[in-house]
Amino acid sequence: MRMLDKVRLRLRSLFRRPNVEFELETELRFHLDQLIEENISSGMPPEEARRAAQRMIGGIAQYKEECRDMRRVNFVEDLVQDVRYTIRSLAKSPGFTGVVVATLALGIGANIAIFTIVHGVLLRPLDYPKPDQLMYLTAEAPAIGGTRSALSAPEYIEFRQMNRSFAAVGAYSTGGAAYTTGEVNLTAGDRPLRVRSISVDAHLLKALSIQPEQGRFFSDEETARWTGTLPPPIAILSHELWRTAFGQRPLVGQKVEIEGRRHEIVGIMPPGADVMDNHTQVWLPLWLHPNTAAQRGAHVLYVIARLKGGITAKVAQTELSAFLENWGDRVGTTDHVPTNRPLRSVDHTLQLRALQDAIVGNASRPIWVLQAAVGFVLLIVCANLANLVMARAGARRREFVLRTALGASRGRLLRQSVTEGAVMSGAGGILGLWLASAGVRALIRAYPTSIPRTSELAINLPVLLVALGLSTGTALLFGFVALGRGRTSSMAAALKEGARGSSGAWRHYARRGLVIAQVAFAVMLVIGAGLLVQTVYNLTRIDAGFDRSRLVTFSMTLPMANSEPVTRAQAYQRVLDRLRSVPGVLGTVAMSGLPPNRTPDAIATPIENYTSDDGRPFEIIDYYQFVMGDYFGTMGIPIVAGRGFERTDTASQGKVAIVDETLAKRIWKGQNPIGRRLRPPGGSFGASDDVWHTVIGVAKDVRQRGVERPAGTELYVSLDQHGVAPPSMSVVMRTTLPPAALSGTIQRVVREVDAAVPVVRLRDMDSVFAESIRRPRLLAQLLGSFAGLALLLAAIGTYGVLSYIVTERRREIGIRVALGATRSHVLTQIVKEGLQVTALGVTIGLAGALAVNRLFASLLFGVQPTDTATIGFVIATITAVAVVASWLPAWRASRLDPNVVLRDE
Amino acid sequence: MAKPTDLVQGTLDLLILKTISLEPKHGWAIAKRIQQVSQEALQIQQGSLYPALHRLEQQAWNKAEWRPTETGRMAKFYSLTSSGRKQLERELANWASTAINIVVQEA
Repeated sequence: MRMLDKVRLRLRSLFRRPNVEFELETELRFHLDQLIEENISSGMPPEEARRAAQRMIGGIAQYKEECRDMRRVNFVEDLVQDVRYTIRSLAKSPGFTGVVVATLALGIGANIAIFTIVHGVLLRPLDYPKPDQLMYLTAEAPAIGGTRSALSAPEYIEFRQMNRSFAAVGAYSTGGAAYTTGEVNLTAGDRPLRVRSISVDAHLLKALSIQPEQGRFFSDEETARWTGTLPPPIAILSHELWRTAFGQRPLVGQKVEIEGRRHEIVGIMPPGADVMDNHTQVWLPLWLHPNTAAQRGAHVLYVIARLKGGITAKVAQTELSAFLENWGDRVGTTDHVPTNRPLRSVDHTLQLRALQDAIVGNASRPIWVLQAAVGFVLLIVCANLANLVMARAGARRREFVLRTALGASRGRLLRQSVTEGAVMSGAGGILGLWLASAGVRALIRAYPTSIPRTSELAINLPVLLVALGLSTGTALLFGFVALGRGRTSSMAAALKEGARGSSGAWRHYARRGLVIAQVAFAVMLVIGAGLLVQTVYNLTRIDAGFDRSRLVTFSMTLPMANSEPVTRAQAYQRVLDRLRSVPGVLGTVAMSGLPPNRTPDAIATPIENYTSDDGRPFEIIDYYQFVMGDYFGTMGIPIVAGRGFERTDTASQGKVAIVDETLAKRIWKGQNPIGRRLRPPGGSFGASDDVWHTVIGVAKDVRQRGVERPAGTELYVSLDQHGVAPPSMSVVMRTTLPPAALSGTIQRVVREVDAAVPVVRLRDMDSVFAESIRRPRLLAQLLGSFAGLALLLAAIGTYGVLSYIVTERRREIGIRVALGATRSHVLTQIVKEGLQVTALGVTIGLAGALAVNRLFASLLFGVQPTDTATIGFVIATITAVAVVASWLPAWRASRLDPNVVLRDE
Repeated sequence: MAKPTDLVQGTLDLLILKTISLEPKHGWAIAKRIQQVSQEALQIQQGSLYPALHRLEQQAWNKAEWRPTETGRMAKFYSLTSSGRKQLERELANWASTAINIVVQEA
């Protein structure tokens, strides 16, 4: 009953507000009248009675406020009132509001966008059940710089049987085994597609704990029986491929052509199912050629394992170390077993790491750098806005003081300022959220492969919480900053001071301090951006070893199942011949690996009269390049000794080879390599036998695995001489035409040769290079834009504080001008003040940059974090910006007319 | 206690509840009555009285209605509710043990 009454009364207070207000007014008025009457009846004249009563009753407004407080609904009422008032007052100064909201939107938006990436890529657990139990096992061969390599099949099976820490150990391969790349040709209807593939065994799905959404998964029998010449013709499609290529029609149990063979679709995966961010579209049974499966040196399998419940990664690591102590003894062989001490070039060790770390890889540092950068931007934004709000608060001091005098409590005023902050931060936050979602989407579109796990990026709850936190934080900050000054001043002093529009010393220091902080952060960001821009510039200017101009390239794969090495060579030859006759095409060649971004082969190659460091008659050669046509001439690779391949070689009996400078140096150590012999395994390119090849020339080094990595050892073999070809080749044309103009011709030529073969990755060589440096470029672009924003904000901040100083010192300047100071003197004086603030900021910023540059060094290429040219450039830029920002207020000060100024006061 | 000249808040509430327990009164009459009964010792300030009345009303210990006074003017009359009566009884029972009483007696 009482509860109900209370609720009724509060609702009444809230919603029947005018009534309640009227009653309160009437009630207090009645009291006043009674008092007046009493005074009159005690003999006072009516006028005096009224005045006395009013004196006695004091501030009616204040009583009313207290009564309202007692009604306990003030909070809601005030909020509504505050918001209404805020919107009104903000609308009155649209410039201020616009600047604040836009700046906030940029600051908060950038932070949300990057945090979306931080969260989606780095923090969010993987999309498997109990993802922290998943570990990734790789082979590491430090002596030859091989890192994160695959395991050999015997190693994988041995580890699976030996270990006691893991509930399941599974393997996959994206190539190497049956297919040379992680892609296969697939025919949907009559459309040839090139799709991302992965070959997995039954154990892997057990380890990952994923299930097909339709149909079944491969059985152990289907993925572990490595016999015959081809894997069993079964496949599982990703949900996405099933939807886009097959329109979600019932497909399980039906046949689809993959790599030229009819495969039965046994299942469809659930949406988003993937392994190692492979963007898998088709899942195939893991299958190895019996020879490969038996070879301990054939590293072809990637291994994922799930820890048993209660077993930590540390325990598993200790167990693995124990195995590595005497792996050979355990499995009964001394041939190519992993060891704890991989000292020789043929040795390797095994390493466990968390699957999530393995997927994110080295993307994590750039992402954290970006997060730090946008954090700085937000701090600058806040410093800037604090300055703006302070300036505005200065102008509104009279208003606040007046409201205090009229009975507004301190808390009430604070709430008002915080409400203003909240309204602006809220608007900024919402706008920022929108900017962020648009920005992230644009980013993924522009750089689909630069960031891992992008398919799962989304603005989700944690991101929204961060957005809310940022907005709330800035709102509170503003409220306190706006009111901060009032705390120390007495009302009367403030009213007087306010009239003249000047204020105390701490405000000067605070505002200068804020500008110094802004400049310092901006310096750090601009230095970072400068170094990265230089890094990208260095990367684009690297000589990859060949002439990249006017080259157009595409790739194609002839299905292995229904082609022989000889027929493949003929098919490629037909494609090359037809393309050579196209007008505008100056030369056409085919190669097995397209520089500068190919995977290494690492093939053990016997060499005549040679003993390696570890006493073996062979050397592991990083890259085999099988070429058709005038490779060196068309690619523009200089031959530094001997000669290139010639037409006469084709018919000649003696097989010839060309080596790169690194290989020549590594093996023959300064002696003449011409005439020496090596024996590349014929199986690597489709020849039936291993035969000795005579070195006829040395080619200049070509960067193969990323432009920033030094060239490895490389062996060139002419396929024209052998009359065979591997399934996948890249074609390169030297031409005056752009890829788009050639596209139709190329499609037609390839279709004429084999209608089921898609043309993939048709582009010019510049795009290939751009692709190889996409991550540093993306980082440079993002950091560059954040640095630009920071610079702009710091300039605005400098401008703002100087304008303010000029306004405050109008009188002083006026007097000085009246006493004979020249305009140029006033001008330099103000600019000097701006530069002083900037200089302090630059110094602090430089110190900060030097302090953090260690974290940054690994992202740079060809430039030191302490690069004097960059730092000099940054200082010059910031100084120039500061001069520009100081100029306008200084100029305004120099124009002051002492007559006007002094009369004003 | 925010204002040293004020009565202890609970005490003022008790006085008000006691004063209106006999018959409904408006604010002025309540102040006058307390003044009389205390032989002019307690001067209830308007600034304390009205917030207290509103507070008690929000607690649903008193209820208010608009009625004409003897002179015919409309005034807001406060009367005790049943829960207010219980509250008054509780307060009176506690009075002997309240801090003020103890302090007064011990001192």
